[in-house]
Amino acid sequence: MKKETITSQRTGDSCVHIKHDSGLDIYICEMNGFSGIDALIGTKYGSVNTMFKIAADSDYTTVPEGIAHFLEHKLFENEDCGVFELYAGTGAMCNAFTSFDKTCYLFSCSKNYEENLRILLEFIQKPYFTKENVEKEMGIIGQEIQMTNDNPEWRVFFNMLGCMYHAHPVKTDIAGTVESISKIDAPLLYKCYDTFYNLNNMVLSISGNISADKVLEICDKYLKPCEDKGLETVFPEEPLDIVSSEIRETQPIGASIFQIGYKCKPASGIELLRQVAAASTASSLLTDPALPMYEKLLKDGIINSTFCGEVFYGNGYFTVIFSGESESPDVIRQALSSEIDRLLTEGINEKDFQRIKKSTYGMMVRELNNVEAVSNLMLSAHMENVGPYDSIEVLSELTNSDVTNFMQNEMQNDRCVLSVIGKETE
Amino acid sequence: MTYNRTDLGSGIGFTSIIDSKFKTCSIAVYFLTELSAETAAVNNLAVSILTVSNSKYRTYAALSEKLSELYGAGLSSSTRKKGDAQTLCIKASWLDNKYAIDGEDIGGEMKELLKDCLFAPNAENGAFDEESFRIVQKDLLDNISSELNDKRAYAMMQAAKIAYRGEPAATSSYGIKEAALAAEPKDTYRAYNELLKSAQIEIYYVSPEKDDSFAEMFRESFKSIKRAPKSVVFRNHSPLKSEVETVSEEFDVNQCKAVLTFKTDSDDKYALKMLSIIYGEMPFSKLFLNVREKLSLCYYCSSTSVSVKGSFFVDIGVERTNIEKAKAEILAQLEEIKNGNISDEELTSSIMALDNAVLQIGDTPSSYIGWYFDCFCDKDLITPEEHFKRFTEVTKERIIQAARSLSPDSIYLMLSKEVRA
Repeated sequence: MKKETITSQRTGDSCVHIKHDSGLDIYICEMNGFSGIDALIGTKYGSVNTMFKIAADSDYTTVPEGIAHFLEHKLFENEDCGVFELYAGTGAMCNAFTSFDKTCYLFSCSKNYEENLRILLEFIQKPYFTKENVEKEMGIIGQEIQMTNDNPEWRVFFNMLGCMYHAHPVKTDIAGTVESISKIDAPLLYKCYDTFYNLNNMVLSISGNISADKVLEICDKYLKPCEDKGLETVFPEEPLDIVSSEIRETQPIGASIFQIGYKCKPASGIELLRQVAAASTASSLLTDPALPMYEKLLKDGIINSTFCGEVFYGNGYFTVIFSGESESPDVIRQALSSEIDRLLTEGINEKDFQRIKKSTYGMMVRELNNVEAVSNLMLSAHMENVGPYDSIEVLSELTNSDVTNFMQNEMQNDRCVLSVIGKETE
Repeated sequence: MTYNRTDLGSGIGFTSIIDSKFKTCSIAVYFLTELSAETAAVNNLAVSILTVSNSKYRTYAALSEKLSELYGAGLSSSTRKKGDAQTLCIKASWLDNKYAIDGEDIGGEMKELLKDCLFAPNAENGAFDEESFRIVQKDLLDNISSELNDKRAYAMMQAAKIAYRGEPAATSSYGIKEAALAAEPKDTYRAYNELLKSAQIEIYYVSPEKDDSFAEMFRESFKSIKRAPKSVVFRNHSPLKSEVETVSEEFDVNQCKAVLTFKTDSDDKYALKMLSIIYGEMPFSKLFLNVREKLSLCYYCSSTSVSVKGSFFVDIGVERTNIEKAKAEILAQLEEIKNGNISDEELTSSIMALDNAVLQIGDTPSSYIGWYFDCFCDKDLITPEEHFKRFTEVTKERIIQAARSLSPDSIYLMLSKEVRA
């Protein structure tokens, strides 16, 4: 077992990282003065991992869309009872979520964390899938899919991804479709479970009112050692160009919404963090209420306070997205393009750049003030192969020209997609 | 943690919560006033415009620039419905000075900025600045329009409109579109001055270190305002309709929504909350285990007790063909409770879930503020521990009585078009 303490030089915060003998990576952050405890265990398995093999397999296995999410639902059911029932006995709030590149199981509590951790570690190592319980889940997930299909924010996002990515599975809904999940059965779920729920592919992150020694004692007792089976996931080749530059749909909504996305080159490890820092700063500059573009769009009634930017990234995909409510999204697309040109021609004002950096630093420090945010931070950083506090360091090293170079190379008009969900007309 | 509430005079309370574990400072200024369709929108505009500009930073651009210089300090407004009252809030949060890289006095600057926003707003000749006004007016109109974007929230809002028809609580906290459209910078400035004069005002300050200068700033600033605070009624049970009313709307949606509203004459809010947990708030609740897990009819089906209005809601997203089946099961599970079918495990689990939630109050500045503000509105200042103790005293019999007190009042249905019967 390898144990190291990781400390942020900037804020003084620290946590412990352990490479456990079972194969699991464990991050623990004792937070004095807080009452709550948040724990997440996650596997590097999300909706994009539809093609994979382990060293012993001769060929890649391709699985139906939505299976990672389906598996997440089913792991909540043990042979003798449901996981919710077990947590009902301790008072903890438990939940799970599947994203594009990870599936996580979590609990939040203020008492009995030892027992809650035991439940978490046991149930993720004890799958129970049957024909009956898989069929039962079809109706529930079917309704979840229908609910998200009525969510304009969800639709505008996936429509944009569909126009952006030719082959990468990030363009597919995390929960799949009613049709794709109908192909899922118990043996297929076991195949995915055995492949991805290997502790060498997983991480536990726990923060709050805890003792690191106690956490490790519980891990030693309940984690069953796993052999690293040499997991390989592959993605179809994805060109840098987009499929189409625009998609428009209507829904019964009261305010039209849009997303404008720039398709960028993907990155990984510390290079990913640098790219995220540059992209986030570019996005902040382009949505900064203090700068003329935002001010003009606001004054002209083109945008409202919902206008914002974000960076969306993962294994094989990276996008800068601008979104909000507007009846004139084409004007916003044009304004963004002109503003990027202006910033590249005139250069980014150093005062504005430093101000945005300061603001981002403030947000990062605030994140360390929250038990739930800290457990999420440690888990996400591990999944990105970086340390929990690396992003603060990377931010401090970010230069004005890093941002200019990012905009110059990545935020190009021919890789820009506009997705709109407009109001239905009578 | 240390807690201290000071009366600044004329219905203004200043609560200071000092907790050394935080890296940030937060302040929340609440205005409590009556909720009405005539004033809700203009009150909303009156408070939100304070976060767009002030007499020193005269444009949204200038104010935003200052906030980002202060390490991304937050300044926002919100409005909420609490029973028959409207609560309006200005919130600010900022990094504690010890994290300022260049040694800036972030707290001192935020105090001045807040003082200007609240007591020297961007107004001249009895009217708010026109440009700032148009920004918040558009935002409010867009907020009202976008209520339909979130189908579940929209269904709940429609259910409340039907259940509370003719009562203040029928109005959305944003107010109505017509009033937002008709408002002008002058009316809005008048509305703000009326809030300063007559609203009940509660201020909360959460910080890692004691700093009396914020209380002092508010005390001094309010000296020039002639206060005449009006009392606000929160608790007002909504009358039961003589016949169950069903209202439906059709949209081009994939999933239908149903909201069942019940009314109660019970004032036993602790028993009603326990009932809601056992019935439909948690993954161990009867609605989750039966409507979702056993019958696979839905992804969500949950209950909410709104004791200040004597009402109780159940909402579900479901296929149109399954609405009646789901309704039957929802009512059957309520009958189970009325008949005393509550297990010891359900009681214990509910208590443990409440214990867990109560103990986490204080882990974030907003949870402290939310807790003490709710206590103020309930006119019952107790600790989270005392609150929890009251739940432990709820007997099975009280929960059964609470369930028996529920009578069906109204139903709202959002129906899909394509499967019209």
